[in-house]
Amino acid sequence: MTRHHEHPDPERPASRPAWLVGPAFGLLAVWFVWFAPAPQIPASGSVQIGKAALGPTARATVKADPPITRVGAYEYRCSDCHRLFQNEAEKTVGRVQHTEIVLDHGLNDRCLYCHSQADRDRLVARDGAGLSYAQIPELCARCHGTTYRDWQRGTHGKTLGSWRSASPERRRLTCSECHDPHAPAFAPEAPLPGPHTARMGEPPAGHRPEGGGPPSAPFVGAGGARGSGEGGAGR
Amino acid sequence: MTIRIWEGKSAGAPGPCGAEPGFTRRGFLRGATGAVGGMAALAAALSPLRDLPDDAFPSLEEFLQKHYKEMTPAELADAMERVRAEVEGRYGVVPTVRDYPPIEGVRFAFALNLSRCIGCRKCVHACVEENNLSRSPEVQYIRVLEMPRGTMDLARGDHHYDRAEVPDGGHYYLPVQCHQCANPPCVKVCPVGATWQESDGIVVIDYDWCIGCRYCEAACPYWARRFNFAEPTIPDGGLNPDMGYLSNRPRRRGVVEKCHFCLHRTRRGEMPACLEVCPVGARKFGDVLDPQSEVSQILRTKRVLVLKEEVGTLPRFFYYFDERYPRDAGSPGPGEGGEAGP
Repeated sequence: MTRHHEHPDPERPASRPAWLVGPAFGLLAVWFVWFAPAPQIPASGSVQIGKAALGPTARATVKADPPITRVGAYEYRCSDCHRLFQNEAEKTVGRVQHTEIVLDHGLNDRCLYCHSQADRDRLVARDGAGLSYAQIPELCARCHGTTYRDWQRGTHGKTLGSWRSASPERRRLTCSECHDPHAPAFAPEAPLPGPHTARMGEPPAGHRPEGGGPPSAPFVGAGGARGSGEGGAGR
Repeated sequence: MTIRIWEGKSAGAPGPCGAEPGFTRRGFLRGATGAVGGMAALAAALSPLRDLPDDAFPSLEEFLQKHYKEMTPAELADAMERVRAEVEGRYGVVPTVRDYPPIEGVRFAFALNLSRCIGCRKCVHACVEENNLSRSPEVQYIRVLEMPRGTMDLARGDHHYDRAEVPDGGHYYLPVQCHQCANPPCVKVCPVGATWQESDGIVVIDYDWCIGCRYCEAACPYWARRFNFAEPTIPDGGLNPDMGYLSNRPRRRGVVEKCHFCLHRTRRGEMPACLEVCPVGARKFGDVLDPQSEVSQILRTKRVLVLKEEVGTLPRFFYYFDERYPRDAGSPGPGEGGEAGP
């Protein structure tokens, strides 16, 4: 044994720290198993949207042709009352009946612009013959000609049932199935909740679910922070 | 870095033990420490496997399953039966899993009326319900951008808007989902052919063939693809049992998914879920090869645009305007409000 034990071997300069590799790996293993943080996958409170809010139904109900008002067990047509009350004055102020109707239709601010005075079960048309309540699009077309043209083409309005243009299940909703004819503009509504993704340039607190909790709070199931009040709607 | 146990001739003389020439205590300790440490590190690296659920490993049939396009009808039936059994085991619901091939002579297209959309996000959540998207982590195919009026700069859009009421007078709303491009970059970059375009224009994914590399997600200019970073969760009673093999059957962790125009509905003639729920009729869907379809009428008669036309993806998702900005005459129209667009 000629060389000194502590003397590094000039032929193997890299071999000296090699024995450190084992303990280093060991420490790393200990850290991985007991101390390493678990990977955080961003989770969010489960947002439950009730099927009622997502139904593919029309927005408004369509009146029968002619419209029928039910009072108790009795069914009335418009003409049943208006045979007695002719309402000559074309005013919307001072109504004592139909007070639930909010008339917000721009310049079209008189009942008799659309409702026929001669025949209370019909609507107004230029030829005087009137239109039935099944012909509402033709009534609206008197003013909204371009929109009516678009509706006929299918570029305005909503079509349900089938995308096939010849399908019998295809149904194009009429004007009053989406718009309230007395106030046709859609009222503003609350949007459904947005995504819980991180927002650029904002602290993470900005996208935490309602009810608090850290942004990366683990999934808490259907009755979570957000969905607890809305209940487990679904199919 | 070499760890020698057998020192060989370099050590020269016999070791202190004297038993074997070159076999030193120091060399043995070095080697043994390295080996034990290495094995411990390997075990630690594999330790997350202990936390895997029982059904994390694919069954033999799933492992040996072929690509969707290479399966015979009998093999596809077996695969769908396997999916059915899996869904029943995981969710306790017996689904109907069907394969919907594309309809001959049909090219689907979507159109969306920017003058009408009010940003209510009903489409987003109807899609989540219809397509069995993960609720947590949250996966949503549709992103509704709130855009300042007067610009088409998508970078100025915000999809986190949280207003008490929509629409806001100074903004318009731009929902974005998969555009089913006729020249799809996502399909080009897939290294395993797990995503492809079908003859009706819908780009589909074989969820069992996807390796989760996320190249397609990076290639998509519309941020349409979503990756399942964790096992998707669907609450009890929230599963839609009406499933298509290439569309809304439940996905697993580690695969990419995206909008498929509700192909399990549209390929049997129905409308997509996002269209059915839209309260203002802003969404239009149909066959562009049919001159009477609504999308054909829109392409003929309306001012139509696609997003990022310059990247050459040829989207099948069109945005259009009405001639006159609707509603709300008091608010600034496009081009008037806010800063001018590019």
